[in-house]
Amino acid sequence: MAHAEKATEFNKDEAKVNWHDKALWYVREKRDKSAHGVIGWEHLRDVASGIKANVLSNLDNYLIEFEKNAQNNGIKVHWASDAKEHNEIVSKILADNNAKKVVKSKSMLTEECHLNPHLEAQGIEVVDTDLGEYIVQIAKETPSHIVLPAIHKTKEEVDELFQEHLGTEPSGGNPEYLTNEARKHLRNKFLNADAAITGVNFAIAETGGIVVCTNEGNADMGSHLANVHIASMGIEKIIPKEKNLGVFLRLLARSATGQPITTYSSHFNKPAKGKEMHIVIVDNGRTEQLSREDFRASLHCIRCGACMNTCPIYRRSGGHSYDATIPGPIGSILSPGKDLTKHSSLPFASTLCGSCSNVCPVKINIHEQLYKWRQVIVKDVKQPVVKKSILKVAGGVLANRKLYNFSGRMARFMLKYAPRFIVYSKLNAWGKARDLPEVKGQNFDQWYKVKRKK
Amino acid sequence: MGREAILKSIKENKPTGIPLPEIDLNNFIEDINLLEEFKEKAQVVGGTINELESSETIEDVIKKQYPNAKEIVDCSKKLTSLTSISISEETNPKDLQNIDLAIIQGEFGVAENGAVWISENSFPVRVLPFITNDLVLVLEKEKICQHMHEGFQLISERERTFGVFISGPSKTADIEQCLVVGAQGAMSLSVILI
Repeated sequence: MAHAEKATEFNKDEAKVNWHDKALWYVREKRDKSAHGVIGWEHLRDVASGIKANVLSNLDNYLIEFEKNAQNNGIKVHWASDAKEHNEIVSKILADNNAKKVVKSKSMLTEECHLNPHLEAQGIEVVDTDLGEYIVQIAKETPSHIVLPAIHKTKEEVDELFQEHLGTEPSGGNPEYLTNEARKHLRNKFLNADAAITGVNFAIAETGGIVVCTNEGNADMGSHLANVHIASMGIEKIIPKEKNLGVFLRLLARSATGQPITTYSSHFNKPAKGKEMHIVIVDNGRTEQLSREDFRASLHCIRCGACMNTCPIYRRSGGHSYDATIPGPIGSILSPGKDLTKHSSLPFASTLCGSCSNVCPVKINIHEQLYKWRQVIVKDVKQPVVKKSILKVAGGVLANRKLYNFSGRMARFMLKYAPRFIVYSKLNAWGKARDLPEVKGQNFDQWYKVKRKK
Repeated sequence: MGREAILKSIKENKPTGIPLPEIDLNNFIEDINLLEEFKEKAQVVGGTINELESSETIEDVIKKQYPNAKEIVDCSKKLTSLTSISISEETNPKDLQNIDLAIIQGEFGVAENGAVWISENSFPVRVLPFITNDLVLVLEKEKICQHMHEGFQLISERERTFGVFISGPSKTADIEQCLVVGAQGAMSLSVILI
């Protein structure tokens, strides 16, 4: 289903859409306040973007350096070309350790690889331990936002889910009560887990270490209690030097939620005594994206979600309307690279206002890439007949001055005198939820000529 | 199989010769009182600040603030009359599930975000600062740096095992964006400045 159709579904509940819109805009405002409080913020963004560009140009060497240093520290490093290989590697590590119970902290990569169903099919219990992810997991849904996975759920919906799955008392959606109940339930899962799976925010070539950022502390509860820690990372998570973290940790949380830094920024360099630590490095389409000169900067992304919070389309269509692991503007430039046909409507889910590029902490030219994907898509993917014909006619009219003037007159006449049901027919997508502007008697050209005579 | 294929594909597809930029720290010069800035930020992120007065001991503060704490682990070695459960590298992390209070020595604080760096050398079991119900970090007032760039400078020579910047107590806003303190980690964080 195309983005517009799914967005229509989401828009059926107007009150909820309005709440969603406002809640995310509020996060965007917190980001602004936080960013404006940092002297040299734009320098940070420039340097971050420059570091990421350097990473891409030296990615193979940095990965080799990272692997060597991690291995020297006793970490086992694995490589996976695609989702299937990733899932098989994780399965094998779990089987080797006879691990049946797994706790997971947030990792968009394992979502992308559909790791949970793969492990569950083998009889392994996987519990998502980030509260938002836990909510969508028991609701049998996917995250609708990369930082706020359950932003599409109301507290009443969470209340009902918890009653069903955790046996909680009806609380009318009391966030403190519900969070505390989840805490108790998840504590038990942490204490009994055989293995913990986490994502990776940054992997440092120079030291072979990784950094994981959370507010809840779930990645640490999982990885320090279980005997085995598996961290999955996309190849683009590499940064050259540890001191580069200074740049990224200053940008990440401020861009994401407006916090000056996440509660926990955990630096893993060596497995604890008697424990195992594994890192799985995953490609899954990333080197292909690297080959596309116009789109490779999308790999700079540090997954802060700022582009989603600011996007007028995302805020009013919801993350699920994108039907992709990573929704929103950044998802709309990443996903077409994975499956152009399936995701062909996403680059059109934008007004090209450029707000996403303005807030991006690593300065990805998101709106320009959206426009470029559109040009690829109209060539490679069959477009709807209506859209194609209208654009063809429009092209003809705009290229011919006489025809253009005539059409202008016609349009002004029609908008003034034609009955409403004709003007607001199905072809008029603009008029679906709003009125066209009032028509004046003349166009600019005519108005200007009259004015000059006076 | 994955490794060689991935590295080969990168080599074929990567752009060439983009230099690694250097950061210019002159962009971040600010005339601020580091201690005051740290105190403000540590509270913004939900932490509590206790500045030890000359007549007070850490023990006084802890007795006052956590009158009901029974299971206490003191890694800062600053408690004398309060009993502390002793733990070592050999302690099973799961045995720490009922700890009420952990006290850990912070190495330094960061003014811009209220974070405190603690490393594994100061707490023998990694899960301790997360699994404890309440967490106290003891920090010397002089050991506060301005921003994260200085922070990483300070830990550049450390023995790298495990370390963490902690800024405030565990929290979440995953239910309708309502901030709730006490998600999966410590329910409260208090920094005692000495």
